[in-house]
Amino acid sequence: MESVRHHAHQEVIREPATIPEPIKTKPRKKKKAYLPGLLLLLPILLFIFGFFVVPMLYILYLSFIYTDSPNATNAVYSLKNYALFFTDSYYLSSLWITVKVSLYTVLVSLLLGYPVALTMAKSSPRIRGYIALLIASPLLVSIVVRNFGWYLLLLPNGTINSILTSLGIVSAPLKLLFSEVGVVIGLSNAYLPFMILAIATSLYNIDPSLERAGAILGASPMRTFFSITLPLSLPGIVSGCVLVFSMSMSAYVTPALMGGANVPMMPIVAYDQINNLLRWTFGSALSYVLLATTMLLVTVFTRGFEKSRFREVFR
Amino acid sequence: MTILATRNDVEIKNVVKRFGSNTVLNGINLEIKQGELLTLLGPSGCGKTTTLNLIAGFLEADEGDVYIKGKNVTHIPPYKRDLGMVFQTYSLFPHMTVYENLDFGLRLRKVPKPKKQNRIARALDLVKMSGLEHRYPRELSGGQRQRVAIARALVVEPELLLLDEPLSNLDAKLRHELRAEIKRLQKEIGVTTIFVTHDQEEALSMSDRVVVMNGGKIEQISSPTTIYNHPETEFVFQFIGKSNCFHGTVAEINNRKISVQLEDGWVTFVDADNIMGSERTCRPGDEVKLYIRPEKLSLASAEQSGHLEHFHKATITQMNYLGASWEIDATLLGKSVQILTPMYDASWQIGKEVMIGWNPSDIMLIKK
Repeated sequence: MESVRHHAHQEVIREPATIPEPIKTKPRKKKKAYLPGLLLLLPILLFIFGFFVVPMLYILYLSFIYTDSPNATNAVYSLKNYALFFTDSYYLSSLWITVKVSLYTVLVSLLLGYPVALTMAKSSPRIRGYIALLIASPLLVSIVVRNFGWYLLLLPNGTINSILTSLGIVSAPLKLLFSEVGVVIGLSNAYLPFMILAIATSLYNIDPSLERAGAILGASPMRTFFSITLPLSLPGIVSGCVLVFSMSMSAYVTPALMGGANVPMMPIVAYDQINNLLRWTFGSALSYVLLATTMLLVTVFTRGFEKSRFREVFR
Repeated sequence: MTILATRNDVEIKNVVKRFGSNTVLNGINLEIKQGELLTLLGPSGCGKTTTLNLIAGFLEADEGDVYIKGKNVTHIPPYKRDLGMVFQTYSLFPHMTVYENLDFGLRLRKVPKPKKQNRIARALDLVKMSGLEHRYPRELSGGQRQRVAIARALVVEPELLLLDEPLSNLDAKLRHELRAEIKRLQKEIGVTTIFVTHDQEEALSMSDRVVVMNGGKIEQISSPTTIYNHPETEFVFQFIGKSNCFHGTVAEINNRKISVQLEDGWVTFVDADNIMGSERTCRPGDEVKLYIRPEKLSLASAEQSGHLEHFHKATITQMNYLGASWEIDATLLGKSVQILTPMYDASWQIGKEVMIGWNPSDIMLIKK
């Protein structure tokens, strides 16, 4: 349990690197105005530098060191760790599984989350507050506790399978736990609040008279939704997807508990290399491959939307 | 054509609308003639926007019926009503160009492409926005956005044009400019138009008829000149323009002339046509209020008082120069009155005595 907690902590620290930072607008003021602001930021800058930038750079450094065995003294600078990764089908399939599971998680939480966000946007501020509280409430329960809760439901003799078999819908219990399905269920459950709140925020910003303008011009509610509401909520969809995708890519606890060895996602493989096999340098390379993949996909996705037909809504 | 010209495009019959326990429209009856520009005017919360939303279909009446071109639309949703509307916040679709904004309604009406391009070009030309087809709303000024919004409402050739305080987000100069332009466009196209505003100047300058609303009821429906000069209720008098008020008692009624004794014993005359309120009559002994507009009061120097019949002594307390006119506050019969006059006399000074006079036909009377 101790090791799980330790790693979950690392996971939390690594996440910000994968989320594109909002574009900072430079205030055009005299240089003096920066100074007090800078002083206020100094503690957090030092904290991030010491506990995030330095370790990340150290891991990057480690990833370029190759040794035959953990306690060998013949360490050399080399790209061999990366070469090993890209030539071994086990590691490549691990990366593919990670991307696949993350994409499914994004899809599931988008489809489940959008209607909730829409409901929130249409409600009065009071109802909106209650819904937001309900959405955020699972976050109050530890992810480990929630995962063990899912066990009871998803095990071969768990609640869901008992109901399905007793109703005769399936003849044999479905493999829900220790499978990609289980991981997607667990991750969607964990990250749904982020998706909902991201989309809801962008829906709040839509001028309600735009829907009225659509209606008066002759568009049915369905048409108005697809022509006006949906495109205008794209910034929220994109940021929700980016958030959920990057969190899924780097998730450790849920894939470990819900998928186990059957779903070897990258964080699990990296953890295994470092903690069990003590191959720090190869584990570091795995971490950087994961980070680079996440950043690449997120950038391509975001840029794709920003240059789409609806680029105007991203301004 | 004569039959058509007198046809009602919109009829609102006994409409009641409640929000919870709050009755916002309390039995509204309204007929809007074909081709006219009708303004709904009133303070906020009077029900003017609710009335417009009932016509647009964004709200449904709790009681009563709404007819558009003879068809009962009370329970028909807005997208099936074939209307054009311009909103206070412009409400252009930000992710669409000017062209796409105008195209939106035409696409839904399945207008063939060559005809569509023609109509969009014509609509943009009408609002003087040709050449800006490929701009996004973000790249336009407030005035330009509202012009596009008007073009978008007109391009679908709607049954009715609804304008929901379309000028209130613009600066004074643009407001004047667009006011004249909307009026010109409306006459040019001849589309029946309903205009909601809280700005009385806008209402008076643009409308064929003005509907003054208050507290969910219609106070008066008349032409702008009648609304201003012969208001039917005290509310209308006070809401439109500025007013001075005196208290008095009806002394006698003689040949359509009512003589009213003011507080200090001074007697003035009022035309019998100028009685406001539902009864439009009064009897000797009735306590009444007299209303007169600041620009209907005339000023004369104290020395000239000898020649004038209906003049009364007053003391100037404040003088404000407004450019085209002077706004003068004076104390008359112990009350503060305001006079608006384009003239100026050097003898009018703060603290000086002047003579204030009026014409009996300019005074409106209401029973207390």
